[in-house]
Amino acid sequence: MKILMICTEKLPVPPVLGGAIQTYISGVLPYLSKFHDITVLGISDPSLPDQETINGVHYVRVPGKVFEIYRENVVRYVEANHFDLIHIFNRPRLVIPVRNVAPKSKITLSMHNDMFNPEKIDPEEAQAALEEVSNIVTVSNYVGNVIRDLYPQASPKIRTIYSGVDTERFLPRSHPKMQKIRNEIRQAHGLENKTVILYAGRISNNKGVDKLVRALPELSKKFKDLALVIVGSKWFSQNDVTDYVAYVRALAKKLPIPVVTTGFVAPDEIQNWFAAADLFVCTSQWQEPLARVHYEAMAAGLPIVTTARGGNPEVILSNENGLIVENPEDPNCFVEKISQILSDKSLMKRMGEKGRGLAVSRYKWDRVASELLEVWAQAKEVKQEKTNEEHIAEPVAEHVIEPVTGHAAESVAEHVLGPVAEPVAESVVEHVIEPVAEPVAESVAEHVLGPVAEPVAESVAEHVIEPVAEPVAESVAEHVIEPVTESVAEHAAEFESENDNIIEGQLEKGTEEQTQDPSTETDSTHEQTRSNVRGKHFIITSGVRKTEMGSTREKIRGKVHGKYFIITSGH
Amino acid sequence: MEKTVIEPWIVDESTDEFFVPDYINQLAEEVLQSYDLSVKSIQIITTKPDKGGAIWKLETNLGPKSLKLLHRRPTRSLFSLGAQEYLVDVQEARVPPIVKTKDGKNYVEAGGKLWFVAEWIEPLAPVTKDLEGAKQLCYALGEFHRLSKGYIPPEQAEIASRLYKWPKKYEKVIIKMDWFRNIAKAYEEMPASSYLLAVIDEFEEQARRGLERLNQSSYFELIKLGNAYWGLVHQDYGWSNGQMGDDGMWIIDLDGVAFDLPIRDLRKLITGTMADLYRWDVTWVREMIKAYHEANPITAQLYEILMIDLSMPNEFYKNIKEVVYEPEIFLNEQTTQLIQTIVETEHSKWPVLEEIQDDWKEVE
Repeated sequence: MKILMICTEKLPVPPVLGGAIQTYISGVLPYLSKFHDITVLGISDPSLPDQETINGVHYVRVPGKVFEIYRENVVRYVEANHFDLIHIFNRPRLVIPVRNVAPKSKITLSMHNDMFNPEKIDPEEAQAALEEVSNIVTVSNYVGNVIRDLYPQASPKIRTIYSGVDTERFLPRSHPKMQKIRNEIRQAHGLENKTVILYAGRISNNKGVDKLVRALPELSKKFKDLALVIVGSKWFSQNDVTDYVAYVRALAKKLPIPVVTTGFVAPDEIQNWFAAADLFVCTSQWQEPLARVHYEAMAAGLPIVTTARGGNPEVILSNENGLIVENPEDPNCFVEKISQILSDKSLMKRMGEKGRGLAVSRYKWDRVASELLEVWAQAKEVKQEKTNEEHIAEPVAEHVIEPVTGHAAESVAEHVLGPVAEPVAESVVEHVIEPVAEPVAESVAEHVLGPVAEPVAESVAEHVIEPVAEPVAESVAEHVIEPVTESVAEHAAEFESENDNIIEGQLEKGTEEQTQDPSTETDSTHEQTRSNVRGKHFIITSGVRKTEMGSTREKIRGKVHGKYFIITSGH
Repeated sequence: MEKTVIEPWIVDESTDEFFVPDYINQLAEEVLQSYDLSVKSIQIITTKPDKGGAIWKLETNLGPKSLKLLHRRPTRSLFSLGAQEYLVDVQEARVPPIVKTKDGKNYVEAGGKLWFVAEWIEPLAPVTKDLEGAKQLCYALGEFHRLSKGYIPPEQAEIASRLYKWPKKYEKVIIKMDWFRNIAKAYEEMPASSYLLAVIDEFEEQARRGLERLNQSSYFELIKLGNAYWGLVHQDYGWSNGQMGDDGMWIIDLDGVAFDLPIRDLRKLITGTMADLYRWDVTWVREMIKAYHEANPITAQLYEILMIDLSMPNEFYKNIKEVVYEPEIFLNEQTTQLIQTIVETEHSKWPVLEEIQDDWKEVE
């Protein structure tokens, strides 16, 4: 598919100035761009050209900073350029303006915080925006649930996709790449032989690092050789010292232990500070969506103390990779949890290892990207469902048993495919199977590469939703990509109750699958899909390059006509 | 000119209060090219080095004008400029008319900021620092508020509104009382610390009570009437920004205007005036409110909000909030004095508030 990703007006992509959303986008792009023709629209920055193409991804940068100006530029760009799917990051207020100039594109939305709250978007506009988007992905259950509470009708569209981290960059201090860096940093800042507590994040009242600073006098009585490192850019700012930064500075100045404040650290050097630390503390006081630093701390093998606010506890398995402070407004509660960890060296080590394990197994970017690809495929499906309704025709292919008349995609797949390729049904449902008839749906034609019957494109299988037989396993896979351990299962149960609608859908399909073919209970659908499809008259397309799409479109129509089913994988 | 970005500038011993960096003076000259004016002289009047703003007085072939470099975000400045235009063109208020550029615009964008030229009103004289002067100021303020109603900002402008933020503002006061306390504890060796700690609980409690009262008041009903209904507050109104001209009171320096419940300006004027008197005086307070009311009628509901806002520890908060910056300097003997003065002045506040509490009972 030709896809436009619209960033926020605050910070540029790539994340030369940092930013959670910007990091997220850069994290998934290498994977997404293998499958789609992607343009990233964001704000301009003096250090970046207004247009460039890097590794096949087009970047377009327009003036922004202020939402109203950015919105105008976004609208202008979308008006002049067509995309099959437009993915908007964290700005529901862009949905309607974008829809107005892109009436046919699919729109999907990523929500990274509370931008749906009534003070951020007029409820009327919010509802209209929710109508227009086909899917909403959120960075935590917390974010999704807040939207659900406000707008229950959006619930079926919402899905949690936890963010990710570069586990090759954020490495444990014991890793050969990090040992030297760790030692150098510690030496340079007088942290040798210290137990270093790390805070990394904005210095704001919401983030609450003052609670940690206030916990330290007590902690330093209990533990010798503590040191605090605060990584946050506002610390040294001359012109822009907020009252809060000043407050924390004033308190820190009086601490009996060394306090290292880094000021702005380039985003590509942050990992060094994680490697130099021994314990990570997140002090957030507000209902935080889910701070990225948790993934980074895990990847760096640090035990974590975080707060029971917003989505943060969702990535903590208590006592396994960290501890959760239930009353974060009270510095004494930090004293308690931090003491618990610092007083047990073996627990500290275990927690760090568990965190690293979780990061590697659950929180890598490829997992984030593959989930996003699934969502896009679903969005695409809805579009084709519509096209089906518009172009009712007698299917010509020999394997079609019933004529398709105005059925929803799912029922199309059920009825049409059922007898043909049962085991594939699940993945097919996700990616839409269409009997090809005249006229060929435009969106299909765009992605078909000619009469390719086999072999099945590898890339399809790579991000096909796997037909998992066990219903529970499916719902777990949705959120936690790891063998199901007891605690994870618990976790999954929680998700289930919070994500009713999503999981219901999954369960249904899962159950269906099981009755059809229990043998699909396997990790890899590659072979399954391939062997089942092979030899049948299916065209599975994926990874179609842009140049091919345009030029082959008409040709394809003629060739495809009357011959094959087309399975599109949502590209 | 395109690439220059105006930043705040450092003031030290080598610079005087009228220092403006050369590149900004240069930009000022370039900005003036956009106007059909022949400028005879240009003189710096005031600077905001910490924010990056400045005002010049121009002598031109068309009389005296002001040139302003607005330090706020351009979209925010558009809001204020739109308001100034609305007040002059639509409401014929006594605020300085904006001089248009050659191509008919209200402003010039340069160095990433907005600049504009307005009429320099002459003569202007401050009102007397007595009750009569205070009443004149209050009446003019009410007039300003009344005329600002119905303002609809230009589409490109950010909407500057404090109307919905009162609870947040009160909460912030409560939160910061705790900061003050924690700092005083951390710097207990400083002279003012013990004085601050002795009174902080009481002021914090006042703020808490204020927030409670606000939450139970008609506030939430009133704000439903919306921004345009209530109009603009000036936010920086007092003896210098409200002055007497030939034909009545003029209001100047509109850069900070924002939508809000109008009585916030009035509350600030009252508390500031009482602080200058070192005591609360029931006659002054009543007369000031009455003068305002004549120009912009206060309803019983709005009066209730005014009473709540007056009961907040405004002066203490305003004067002590600096403590977070350099407590090791701020918490000195002088601040001890300051705290004592505030406590004494505030002491006389409560009987006054009690006395005027029911003044608006009969008002519809």
